[in-house]
Amino acid sequence: MTSEINRRELVQLLAGAAFALQLPAAEPGAPLFFTKDEFALLDKLTDLIIPTDEHSPGAHDAGVAPFIDRMTAEAFLAEEKETWRRGLQSINALSQTTNGAPFLQATEAQQIALLQKISKNEEHGETPQEKFWGQLKQTTAFAYYTSKIGIHEEMNYKGNVLIREFVGYDAT
Amino acid sequence: MFFRIQTSAEPEVDLSVVYDAVVVGTGAAGGMAAHVLTSHGMKVLLLEAGKKINTSEILHSMEWPYDHPRRGRMPPGYHALTQNEYNFRKPPYAQNSPYTKVTSYVQHGGGSDYSKTIVVDEKQHPYTGTEYAWVRARCVGGKTNIWGRLALRLSDYDFKGASRDGFGQDWPISYVDIASYYDKVDLYLGVSGHPENYPAMPDGQFQRAIKLSPSEMHLRETLKGMGRILTPYRAGVTTDGLKHNKYRSRCWGRGACNRHVGGCDIHAAFDSPTGLIRPAQDTGNLTLRPNSTVYEVTVDKNTGKASGVSFIDTETRKSYQAKAKVVILGASTLESARLMLNSKSTLYSNGIGNSSGHVGHNFCEHIMGPSVGGYWKDLVGKPRTLDDGRPGGFYVPRFRNLNGPKSDFIRGYGFEGGAGTGMVPGTAFDTPAFGAEYKKNVRDYAGATIEMGGFGEVLARYENYVDLDPEVKDAWGVPVLRFHYKFGDNEKKMVADMAASAREMFEAAGFVITSVNDRPLTEGWSIHELGTSRMGNDPKTSVLNQYQQSHDVKNLLVVDGSSHVSASAQNPTWTIMALCWRSCDHLADQMKRGEV
Repeated sequence: MTSEINRRELVQLLAGAAFALQLPAAEPGAPLFFTKDEFALLDKLTDLIIPTDEHSPGAHDAGVAPFIDRMTAEAFLAEEKETWRRGLQSINALSQTTNGAPFLQATEAQQIALLQKISKNEEHGETPQEKFWGQLKQTTAFAYYTSKIGIHEEMNYKGNVLIREFVGYDAT
Repeated sequence: MFFRIQTSAEPEVDLSVVYDAVVVGTGAAGGMAAHVLTSHGMKVLLLEAGKKINTSEILHSMEWPYDHPRRGRMPPGYHALTQNEYNFRKPPYAQNSPYTKVTSYVQHGGGSDYSKTIVVDEKQHPYTGTEYAWVRARCVGGKTNIWGRLALRLSDYDFKGASRDGFGQDWPISYVDIASYYDKVDLYLGVSGHPENYPAMPDGQFQRAIKLSPSEMHLRETLKGMGRILTPYRAGVTTDGLKHNKYRSRCWGRGACNRHVGGCDIHAAFDSPTGLIRPAQDTGNLTLRPNSTVYEVTVDKNTGKASGVSFIDTETRKSYQAKAKVVILGASTLESARLMLNSKSTLYSNGIGNSSGHVGHNFCEHIMGPSVGGYWKDLVGKPRTLDDGRPGGFYVPRFRNLNGPKSDFIRGYGFEGGAGTGMVPGTAFDTPAFGAEYKKNVRDYAGATIEMGGFGEVLARYENYVDLDPEVKDAWGVPVLRFHYKFGDNEKKMVADMAASAREMFEAAGFVITSVNDRPLTEGWSIHELGTSRMGNDPKTSVLNQYQQSHDVKNLLVVDGSSHVSASAQNPTWTIMALCWRSCDHLADQMKRGEV
């Protein structure tokens, strides 16, 4: 396709594309905001929401938890940070009363059963866990479907390229 | 040694001369005025309150989300107003906000980091009164830098609406008066479309049309059977290129239009800086001064004519005056009204051009909110297709209250819609549950979705108006607008019908409906403010004549959406530019004959 672009068109395009902003990506290593335990819990929760399947890798491989950690570390209002911390704590507390163990120490079947319980009311959450679920799931979805894995492997997105003809049908 | 403090990289403009015209505002209206007047050889000073921005540098239309450290979101401390904030609080919305910078709702969603310098900081630009989501872009090009690109024509169903249903006033022009100017705008700026021969929305001089997805084609066929039209998004985008404009590329189907809150860094979509202003500068007749907050139209006490404008340098806060034979306002429907109301003098005690008392009144726009979403079963689980490689989806023009039976409301509405998925699937955010099933459903349904939302004509009523707040001023000390504006009964009935007809059309197409919204969004949401200085033949009930000239002050023109007599159901930008072209041609003729 590119070969069909003439010189003038190419110059105009490059004028727009020449300076893709180079910013450092999140570094691996210690979490920026969460404790190690909180981070491990967050990582597990996001990977249960979007797991690896036969089609593509899941949230853990897509780096969802490091992205949420970084956004939370940067959050401008203290309450934005606190809702994440309190939310994770509330999941552990419910796991403790339901299964006699913190979330990560419960069996995977127990973990999934617990998430099924708190996600039942996802449109109109009432308990602290149900309210946190909405935030956790929406943020996980955003982080996953804007990741390399989400866009290219999972969704197999074909766009953001130059095409000479629009795709589809002519209105007749 | 003498050091001159320079606040901008460009030399100060010459304010000692009398320009042929001073134009206030650089959006669709101001840019068009600059283009037309300079093409007639007039010397024009173009003033813009905001700064010059380089959208080619800031939009990064092809940057992947994962290459941005916050996936396109604004930096910490920035906050975009939410729908709830507009509804449950009163303006000024940014008052007492804990955030450093507050922007309008358009900055919500992905990609808002790219346009955060285009929209205003609400903390510096307060307004008061009734709830209103007022989106402003103070920079060279104004809102054309982020507009939705629908480039539609009005028809005599609009221009002569009052004669048809008895409400309000007819426009002082008919379609035949403006048709050739729509053609000029089409050919100079480029518009993509498919001819439909539909009287309520005339065809234009179209470049290559956008293509339709399978479900859009299916809906088009269904609507044909109902006597309605679904046409490919009629976009103010050059799909074939423009040989006469070296600043703009043709569209390359990158799907970037909606990804970063509008804006096109190759300028295939029309924007005023590359479509109008830079070519006007190339004539040698245009002087552009950004950072110029105009706060008053000055008056010659002897003649009663406008003599120029006073402005504050937005950065240095220093005051200046510019002198011109003609003053042309294109600051936007609400800002032009504000400027006229702020231009009080002994001759014009309630604001310049306001002997009718109509400046700020008959304020109208489009009502939004009603929408329908669903999916087409035939496409669920099908292999991924490229759905967003085009500048828009589809448009369904007005079908109510034309020649068929009358509704329980007057006027009409159209729908904008689209099918399939962009880079980030919408289904990710409304698919229930979690785990492998959720992930598969997001994937399988993303390409099958289709949705559309309505834009309805809000009646231009005298009692919907803006005036000046007696106390509140903006960061530059200029009195701000106070809103007195509410949707009325006709809009409420229309909204109910919009939701019902949206459902009816999707049901007729056999789509599975997943959501129907029947509530209006906050006033202002459409960003289509119109009608604060309407045209008319009677100086007692209108502000401008059919050439957008003040009835009171012959050398004052208002060439933006202020002049519109009614909102119509169609999006206004193309009409703003066609009207402005016509008025500026007429003005140039008058000046040649020494009549102004």
